[in-house]
Amino acid sequence: MITKFQVAYKNLLRKRVRSFLTLIGIALSAWVLVSLLGFNHGYETALNRDIDNMGFQLMVMAKGCPYEAATMMLKGGTGLRYMKDSILETITREPEVEKTTPMLIQVVFDPNKGESGGIAAYLGVEPRSYSAMKTYLKFRQGGWFTDQNAYEVVMGYEAAELETREVGDMILIPEKNVELKVVGVLNRTGTQDDGTIFVPLKTLQKIFDRSDELTTIGIKTKRDANINNLEERLFKLPDVQVVSLAQVKETIMGLVSTAKVMVLSIAIIAILIAMVGVINTILMSVHERFQEIGILKTIGAMPQDIFKLIWMETIILCTTGGVMGVALALVLSRLTGMIIRHVLPYSPRGGLVVIDIELILITLVVVLGIGLLSGLYPAWKAGRIRPLEAIRSEGNR
Amino acid sequence: MNLLREKPILFEFYNLRSSICAGAFWALLLVLIGYTDAWGAVGCELNDPDRDVARFFPKSTGYKTHYASILQRGGQALLGKVETRLGDKFQGIYETIDVPYTIYEIFTNNKRVGYIHGVNHKGQFGGIQVFLALDLEGRIKAFYIQKMTSKYAAKFRDPNFGKQFVDLMLKDFNLYDVVSQKASGKMEGIKNPVPEAEFDFRAALRATKKNLVLLDEFGFLPQPSQKAE
Repeated sequence: MITKFQVAYKNLLRKRVRSFLTLIGIALSAWVLVSLLGFNHGYETALNRDIDNMGFQLMVMAKGCPYEAATMMLKGGTGLRYMKDSILETITREPEVEKTTPMLIQVVFDPNKGESGGIAAYLGVEPRSYSAMKTYLKFRQGGWFTDQNAYEVVMGYEAAELETREVGDMILIPEKNVELKVVGVLNRTGTQDDGTIFVPLKTLQKIFDRSDELTTIGIKTKRDANINNLEERLFKLPDVQVVSLAQVKETIMGLVSTAKVMVLSIAIIAILIAMVGVINTILMSVHERFQEIGILKTIGAMPQDIFKLIWMETIILCTTGGVMGVALALVLSRLTGMIIRHVLPYSPRGGLVVIDIELILITLVVVLGIGLLSGLYPAWKAGRIRPLEAIRSEGNR
Repeated sequence: MNLLREKPILFEFYNLRSSICAGAFWALLLVLIGYTDAWGAVGCELNDPDRDVARFFPKSTGYKTHYASILQRGGQALLGKVETRLGDKFQGIYETIDVPYTIYEIFTNNKRVGYIHGVNHKGQFGGIQVFLALDLEGRIKAFYIQKMTSKYAAKFRDPNFGKQFVDLMLKDFNLYDVVSQKASGKMEGIKNPVPEAEFDFRAALRATKKNLVLLDEFGFLPQPSQKAE
């Protein structure tokens, strides 16, 4: 015996082009929806990973925005701002703090970089505390400094590649004319560390005559620590500002959410268009089969049978379209990610569109739900067709 | 959870400002250290092609940029050939088979007039970027060190040092052994401006020879130079 599903399927095949175009509409809507939700999930994951790779949740800096410092530097000013390294002890004593790492950034002008000169930057670190926070740092060659006062450097992979340095080579700090020995080259990490030249903190302080001064302190908090309380206490310290990477993340996510709202609006419009397409297709199908439905009723079909039959058509259309859309999103996720990366001003590393099974199921349920809603009116209309009226209408149709 | 929601607006503004500052801090750090996002090998490009092309070819009206790597143009076999012609092995993480080379093809009123090509090379205290401007016959019109880290960098970047290379061709550099430093013919005329910086002087010569050999192998130099091999 032929089932309702088979009848519905055959009905859809009778108007192949129309059914196919409706399917395409649903598939495109599902694709946009999956990609958007996948982007939401993927972007946040990638951003979290980027921030985790920084190794610390809070940064303490001397008061004054570094952006302003950069502007000052470009105008020939003194540039970076400093704080006393005694503050490190105060911060380390805070109960929420697990680890701290002091840093000093120093910049010199190199007249032999390009036609009109350029700048070279060095990051002074304590290897023990810095590497404890950045556990992913692995050495391609050599290792960390032999001593806190050693005239040595460790280079990120790309810095070493650009400066053609290997372990045993020397580098020169322009302006200061100080020679340092390369003792380590790091593996690629995909982070800002790749382009960094690390110098022992004490050495860098000495070379630049910045004894007891720092530009930044990285803070890793204890698990389950109340970062908010810690931040508020740190804000009270004189002449420093506290920057939470969670805030940075929040700000970036806030900026991205504006774009997401726009894309979501487009997705909703696409879904509404697809919904109208489904209603139109099924209504036309009902209209064309006016007599046929009348005959079905004459031979004993109940209104609910007709309702189910028509509703089944929308379910087939929406399910197939939804599956096609999900498949399309899976196949094109990399391309979608690349396009998004091109458009966004800041995008973290790694896949920006992450589609998992939960997302696929949610999308299919949404598309099917929309399909069921879209099918309600045509199915109800078909169920209400009067047999006699349908048969009598033969001459008029 | 948005912890900021419980705070007064002024505090929120301060945090927003701090966040932007933090973003700027990292952006500044990345800019300062010249961080590149690319995962491939580091190439050598003119810092300001529009300005530099006009400087080397004052009558030029345009240029086309070509990218080539040994890996793409012939792989291991080509690497072997380049090393043989150079007279030395490629070495280190900066001299790999996948290094992208940028060749600027120069035009004057749609007529090709020459090329500019640069290579990275290991210097005593950092990378040296050696650029050559050549006419269509492969004759050096200008020698330019774009970047060099050395106490004596100014001497090597001085136009008087570069003038020693003008009018030389690959056939002249074939008379220079990059390993033994033995030179004959016109190559004997190139003098080191700073005896204390012998390492950088040799690096400049090796970089120039490598530059010319690569251009020849990539097909940018005329055939006669190959016949001279």
